[in-house]
Amino acid sequence: MTTRARASTMAVPAQRRLQSWIKQSRGYLFIAPAVIFLLVVMVYPLANVFVTSFTQIDTRERTQEYVGLDNYAALLDDSTLWNSVRNTVIFTAASVVLHLLIGGVLALLLNEQWLSAEVRNFTRGVLILPWLFSTAASALIWGLLYHPFGTLNYLLMSSGLASEPVEFLGDRALALMSLVLVNVWKTFPFYMVMILGGLQSIPVELYEVSRVDGAGRLQRFRHITLPMMRPVILAISTIDIITTFGHFDLVKLMTFGGPIRSTETIAYYVWQTGFRDVNFGYGAAISVMMVVVLSIGVLVYLRMFTAREQMYGETTTAL
Amino acid sequence: MAKPRRRSERNWRAGAWQASLLTVTLFAVVVIIFPIIWMVFASIRPVEETLSLPPVWLPRQINLEYYEELFSNGRQMRFFFNSYVIAGLTAVVCLALGSLAAYGFSRFKIKGGRLILTGILALQMLPAVALIIPYYNMAQSLRIYNTYLALVVADSSFILPMTIWILKGYLDSIPLDLEEAAMVDGCTRLRALARVVMPLALPGLIATGTMAFLGAWNELLFAVILTTGPNVAPLTIGIAEFFTQFGRDWARIMTMNTVGSVPLMVVFIFLQRWVVQGMTAGAVK
Repeated sequence: MTTRARASTMAVPAQRRLQSWIKQSRGYLFIAPAVIFLLVVMVYPLANVFVTSFTQIDTRERTQEYVGLDNYAALLDDSTLWNSVRNTVIFTAASVVLHLLIGGVLALLLNEQWLSAEVRNFTRGVLILPWLFSTAASALIWGLLYHPFGTLNYLLMSSGLASEPVEFLGDRALALMSLVLVNVWKTFPFYMVMILGGLQSIPVELYEVSRVDGAGRLQRFRHITLPMMRPVILAISTIDIITTFGHFDLVKLMTFGGPIRSTETIAYYVWQTGFRDVNFGYGAAISVMMVVVLSIGVLVYLRMFTAREQMYGETTTAL
Repeated sequence: MAKPRRRSERNWRAGAWQASLLTVTLFAVVVIIFPIIWMVFASIRPVEETLSLPPVWLPRQINLEYYEELFSNGRQMRFFFNSYVIAGLTAVVCLALGSLAAYGFSRFKIKGGRLILTGILALQMLPAVALIIPYYNMAQSLRIYNTYLALVVADSSFILPMTIWILKGYLDSIPLDLEEAAMVDGCTRLRALARVVMPLALPGLIATGTMAFLGAWNELLFAVILTTGPNVAPLTIGIAEFFTQFGRDWARIMTMNTVGSVPLMVVFIFLQRWVVQGMTAGAVK
């Protein structure tokens, strides 16, 4: 009896200590699950891919052996890789420009006062719909539009722009741009909505003042809208460049890299190297190179991001 | 005399501007929505009509036999089921881990908090393809290759950072007084979080949840790496497989596509307001 009572009085301070410890480090307990999760599923694999890039699999022995910088040396004169780099750069540049252009024009249209706010919101909703489709689903939809007897060919031929069916995916000169078009259709809503958000945050007073000063529509766009939108445009272009640079889906779904490797992106090449040729070491080396190049973009983005934050002196959300 | 004429001229110009805005918007809507309508049409009419030249714009005959065929095909339906499971679980995982972390970052002093948050943002920017080799190896050695678990974890990894950032933005905008009042009334911190803060952050939760769901729904690369056969593989894989198998059978393909996308569109119509709010959260500030 007595010993038990003593034990329970002993336990009280310990419990209290535990409670105060929990109280002090509660913040860390809240973030711990997510941080540990990200360490395990992102930081560790990233380190792992780095290590793998210095190895080569001996398929007969089924062992990985350390080969130093061999994989990196091989990168330099792998013309297939540089071809994929070229395709990726073209694909990314064209996608980003078209996203900004189409997203921007539509955002400007939605930001103007026409009919009622309900009608404009409804229109915005309709314009967002392509974003809900998976890339796979968009690939099928456009596969039909690109068909030799499909709608696009009909429009081209009946308007006299083409005399015979265009092979959108089979023509070396056209295939990559055909993929860009699908990618733009599927993802422009995201950029449209972001630009629209930016436009709506420009203080109305600025426009009113300039109107009093007699500035026309074009002048207001040049001297108010564009400068005010600069940070938003920079931020979304960076996000867009970074996400598009790793594009895999449309290549895998629509062209398999062809015709004659004209649509092969870096991501597709990594996948092929790693999983068709089972050359993990080399695939990892390409991945590391890609991460290093993109890190520069990420750093630029983060610099911009923190600069913007200091300017406004408040926490902002990314993306 | 001069004044009224100028006003009527101005009215006319405003009207012309409105009309041209309306025309351009209408044109854009038609061009952008046409592929979706064409998909639905192709699913309900014979292939000859879909691919006829000149095009038959409106379906002349409606034929739902491919829908019946699809719904009675267990193997095909499995892909839909898998996608809903994977996307749903991914959204749950991201919301659970993300809201806890966002709350921690928003309400507590955390040493190096800014640095951790920036690091999380940087991770989000990694190209997914850079991690496929370690993911494959990890899934094999942990014996979770071709399981929902492997795909949900892989999908969540790239979505969680975004969830944390957006939710933190929402939580920062909710005044502290409310939960303090709740805690004075005897709620524990976790209960205050669940009862007071989360309901207020609901728009943010809906937005990030939808984005997480769509992100996982859209995912193809990890599914290619981590699954084999139709047991676990999501719809994106099913579609790709179907496309290569029945490349010419547009009615069947588009039936699968329509069944895959129409439910999302219907749900989105109800959630639009919140999702758009969440998406713009970053751009606005």
